[in-house]
Amino acid sequence: MKRRRFFQTLAAIPVAAPLAAQQPATAPAPGGGRGGGRGALVPDDTKLEVSVAEGSADAMPRFFNAAEFGALRKVSDILAPAMAGSPGALAAEAPEFLDFLIGRSDAARQGLYRAGLDGLNGQARRQFNRPFAELDSAQAEILMAPLRTPWTYEEPDGDREFARGRRGAAYRGQRLVLVSARLETQTGNLKWPVRITTFLLLAPARPVGWPRIR
Amino acid sequence: MAAHTLTKKGVNCLMLDAGPLVDFNRVRQTKQAYELPYHGFGEPGRLPHVVQANEFNANQWVDEKEVPFTHDPNKPFNWVRVRMIGGKSLFWARMSFRLSDYEFKAKDHDGYGENWPIDHAELAPFYSRVEPIFRVQGRKEGLKQLPDGEFIEDTSPWSETMNRFIAVSKRREVAVTKMRRSLGRGQFASSFNLLLPEAMETGKLTIVPNAVVRDITVDKNTGLVNGANFVDRHSKREMHAKARVVILGASCLESTRILLNSKIANSSGVLGRYLYDQTYITQGVVAVDKTPGIGGGGTSGGYAPRFVNLKKGNEQDFIRGYAFDFNLAGTPDAKYVPGYGEELEKKLAEYRGKAASVTIMGEVLPRYENFAAIDKNVVDAYGIPVLHFDCKYGDNETKMLKHAMNTFEELCHESGFETLAKHDKPWPPGYSIHELGTCRMGDDPKKSVLNKWNQSHDIKNLFVVDGSSFVTGGYQNPTMTILSLSMRASEYLMEQVKARNI
Repeated sequence: MKRRRFFQTLAAIPVAAPLAAQQPATAPAPGGGRGGGRGALVPDDTKLEVSVAEGSADAMPRFFNAAEFGALRKVSDILAPAMAGSPGALAAEAPEFLDFLIGRSDAARQGLYRAGLDGLNGQARRQFNRPFAELDSAQAEILMAPLRTPWTYEEPDGDREFARGRRGAAYRGQRLVLVSARLETQTGNLKWPVRITTFLLLAPARPVGWPRIR
Repeated sequence: MAAHTLTKKGVNCLMLDAGPLVDFNRVRQTKQAYELPYHGFGEPGRLPHVVQANEFNANQWVDEKEVPFTHDPNKPFNWVRVRMIGGKSLFWARMSFRLSDYEFKAKDHDGYGENWPIDHAELAPFYSRVEPIFRVQGRKEGLKQLPDGEFIEDTSPWSETMNRFIAVSKRREVAVTKMRRSLGRGQFASSFNLLLPEAMETGKLTIVPNAVVRDITVDKNTGLVNGANFVDRHSKREMHAKARVVILGASCLESTRILLNSKIANSSGVLGRYLYDQTYITQGVVAVDKTPGIGGGGTSGGYAPRFVNLKKGNEQDFIRGYAFDFNLAGTPDAKYVPGYGEELEKKLAEYRGKAASVTIMGEVLPRYENFAAIDKNVVDAYGIPVLHFDCKYGDNETKMLKHAMNTFEELCHESGFETLAKHDKPWPPGYSIHELGTCRMGDDPKKSVLNKWNQSHDIKNLFVVDGSSFVTGGYQNPTMTILSLSMRASEYLMEQVKARNI
């Protein structure tokens, strides 16, 4: 069984168990009519259960290069780790999905991720002499420090000064990728059954026109 | 609403709708995000101007490749459209307000722009008939700036947190009301289920779906309109429908586009001018309640209608006003909370149900310089010239939004909340989906497209019954006003036909 299938099963249990408990032992088959006849006896044979590709197959990342993808996996794991009762970003294959999504996105969004991941790798090499993916938690922690500051739309003064410097662009990109990766891994791991509704807003999915999130 | 009013009075109506009749029982189904090709994130670049779009609802919006529009890259405009029978009323947020004389007679209050040729008293009887049809829920408050309506009484108690917030607001003369919202019937509060079925029952209404109107035709001898050219959406076949009277209700900007493409009803030169909407900031302030031991039931979402510039001594460095649509018991989006990983999750759990967030809805001044015009170089998939937008918010809006953000933050602080984030950057024009003003009404044919009955000054058998007729829009969601004007215009039309004036 693929991991994803396993998690789908897990996710279904809390809902399915109480429902099943309420079912009478002789529940009519799905789609069966009440009035007897064939419909009441045989299951609906027009509905086949199908699976999503990711349940049985592996994605083939092709947008990020190996160094970028390594950093993305590491960032994803740090931002959305597996926690009690819920899978993390790696198990949800969020980096693989992001590779696909960003690869299909416009140049601005692609540049944002690239600059951020390259920035992380560059900083890791300068400070620790190895790529970001190979840092231990304490070292990664140091580079992730910007995420510990409260996040607002206002640009803090320190940032503005930093942005004037030569490394400004890379730094900004790095900070962006940290935040957007955090957002997208969280929502990339979507397991909720969501009814189609106007009120549903998946804010992080929309880089275009989003107000100045930097 | 026009079809509903007219068919009930025995008039034969033909309704051309650019979109299909949708079977919602078939298309609305529950799907897991992982069943969608982009896991709910949406196909990148598919609907660049529709911030409201996501992968779940992507199909409900007009495809920008099929019916494009243009704007200066530095002046973005988000034109959000729905083409199906029922239109935007299928998906609206159902907020149901009346305009007050602060809007109808805005010029009398601050000298800017124009008054409407009507006032609240004149439209009130129609509001009172529309509200029961849409089953507007609300609470009577007796506020001059937000007239009460015929409500289904909202008797729910406020939450403890809300009572605290209301006490603080009261000291600053900020009124907090229950949200006023159309309950409708079943899944919808739409013309689709509340108006059109009754109109069909009269046997007088014919609906033609997928009829994309190209232009309105004019009888050369009389100068009156006599029908419309349209294109079948599927076959692209060109058709013409004859009519004694034409009523446009295609939404503000589509009606304007049809008139501009028809080259009629513009002796004033203001057709397409004075384009405005309402300026929106979402998550303008995000704050968490620091008061320990909150909880309990009750309504924790409310609405604070305009409270600035209502009387002498309350004038600001901007004119007009804004409203807060807010909730005090949400969970902040992860992006507002510092930290990551397990630490972030713990923080989010701690903040669950304790976060205040606000949508700021501000009035936008009608300005001649903001307009929609035909782009001569671009046509849509049906060969119909598209709209070009030139629209930008000004200083008044900027100052207003800053004031709104600061005021809400102060109210939060005084109520025991701590700010996580705030900003005063509005979405681009169009975001509120409340485009208004491009066929504005008025008594002076030189300054307005329509008279006070939504009737063209130039062509007496042509009516426009959507939001384009607004003179000023206030901060209030416009639907109830559009419906009431449409009902009023349709009854006036009947009187005029009976009196043989049309």
